[in-house]
Amino acid sequence: MSAPSAPAAQPAHADSARIRVRSLGKRYGALEVFRNIEFDVGAREIVAIVGPSGCGKTTLLRCIDGLLPHDTGDIWVGDARVEEPIAGVAMVFQHFGLFPWKTVFDNVAYGLRMAGAARTEIERKVPEFIKMVGLAGFEKAFPYQMSGGMQQRCGLARALAVEPSVLLMDEPFAAVDAQTREILQFELLRIWQERPTAMIFVTHSIEEAVLLGHRVIVLKGRPSSIHEIVEIDLPGPRTRATLQLPRFAELRERVWGTLMREAREAEFQLERA
Amino acid sequence: MTSSAINAPADAAPEPPPLSDRLRQTVLPRLVTGLILLLMWEIAVRLLAPPFVARPSSVVAIAPKVLTDPKFLAATGSTLLAVAEGLVISLILGTLTGLAIGRSRIAEKALLQHVNFFYAMPMIVILPLFSLWFGYSAATRIATIIFASIFAIVMNVADGARAVPGEYLEVARSFRAQRLRMLFEIVLPSSMPYLLAGVRLAGGRALIGAVVSEFFLSIGGLGYYILYNSRSYHHSEAFVGVLLLAAFGVGFEVLVGWCTRRFMPWYRRGAN
Repeated sequence: MSAPSAPAAQPAHADSARIRVRSLGKRYGALEVFRNIEFDVGAREIVAIVGPSGCGKTTLLRCIDGLLPHDTGDIWVGDARVEEPIAGVAMVFQHFGLFPWKTVFDNVAYGLRMAGAARTEIERKVPEFIKMVGLAGFEKAFPYQMSGGMQQRCGLARALAVEPSVLLMDEPFAAVDAQTREILQFELLRIWQERPTAMIFVTHSIEEAVLLGHRVIVLKGRPSSIHEIVEIDLPGPRTRATLQLPRFAELRERVWGTLMREAREAEFQLERA
Repeated sequence: MTSSAINAPADAAPEPPPLSDRLRQTVLPRLVTGLILLLMWEIAVRLLAPPFVARPSSVVAIAPKVLTDPKFLAATGSTLLAVAEGLVISLILGTLTGLAIGRSRIAEKALLQHVNFFYAMPMIVILPLFSLWFGYSAATRIATIIFASIFAIVMNVADGARAVPGEYLEVARSFRAQRLRMLFEIVLPSSMPYLLAGVRLAGGRALIGAVVSEFFLSIGGLGYYILYNSRSYHHSEAFVGVLLLAAFGVGFEVLVGWCTRRFMPWYRRGAN
């Protein structure tokens, strides 16, 4: 459908790196979670992170958001060194993290309010983002009145509303059913095409990682480190048709093979121990 | 006939019982018990007690006169106003203290044991001291009401503030909320169900505090009205006051329950 001039196939991180992670390490007391993590994310690039459960993907993302302190190394977002949450970075949470006492409108407005936005700005922007995620008409609904998929749309709108240069996605579609998940993946791609940002997408679904990511980082081991970074050279913009491409299947199998080998090794290590 | 009688319960089982069944099964027994108790009271007083002792028929007979008596209304107003004032003060100070205890380790260490201590202390024993400090006055009544009600709110809000789901705080931190805003815009609303449970408890205790201090201090109010009429052999009048106090207690519970449903539709408990 689209012209082959689509930029997604090029190594987008090569131009301006929005996020730079350097020799990052994190431990919880005696337990070392990951070590020596190094990667960049371009200003208009989606990097997916996959790994076996318990490998510290979510911990890594929380460190990048500044929610958790790291022990070694550095995280840079633009010129800012991340020690705590910084402006311009927004996170979408696995369990939505909506405030049950707030309506959709007020949930979406939350980030803007915390950033000190004026009332007129809030009243102008919030409906725009509610519409963007397809929740128009639900402004006054409370989270408990909505399905999981709608709740995560609201969570996405809340993150988008602060117009971040970096979006951090923590297994955002893991808690919704399979069909909804698929719909939301393509919605996310559509929204990203409209407003490209640097994005880190943590998932345990290989298919999701390959579909969304321009590169896929595979974490391995205990403590985990980057095992492989797979360039996903699929033509963009990605649509449902992308899932049918032979190249998609190839890449999926490649990431799958890498991960499964690791999973098996980890199992053997456990058995020996 | 026999077959339908056997089939009936099996058919009814999966569906909720119809209204007439619920009336028969819960409201009717309650009503019957109440009527029996009233009847026993009426008969016992008529047979055994002197004529000035209150009985259901005499209370009903005197009720319209009492309820329109300006003195009675003034006394009721005075007590309710004092309870409302005391509750508002308890609510504000108690919520602030509870939030501090729930969210700050130092505040918890410094305050929690004392709160438990005062909560457990019977409010009546503090009354003689309060009357020395604040005089035989409305100030002592307010102080007693606050003392009676505040610790229930503190303890409940502290529980609620401790139980705030970590994900809410994480979201707030991620969006760079300042600490105070996090406290009042995340911790407080998240603790609202606990706060209302505390208020429910505090309302009853405040009412008791008001009445007891009026007994002790002989200052105008519904409690004093009851005491005065009991002592001057106007038992039926006194009893109208007693019933009204009970109605206020129940009414307050209903009001808090209604507020919970009206203003916190997101807070749903399993049943009811």
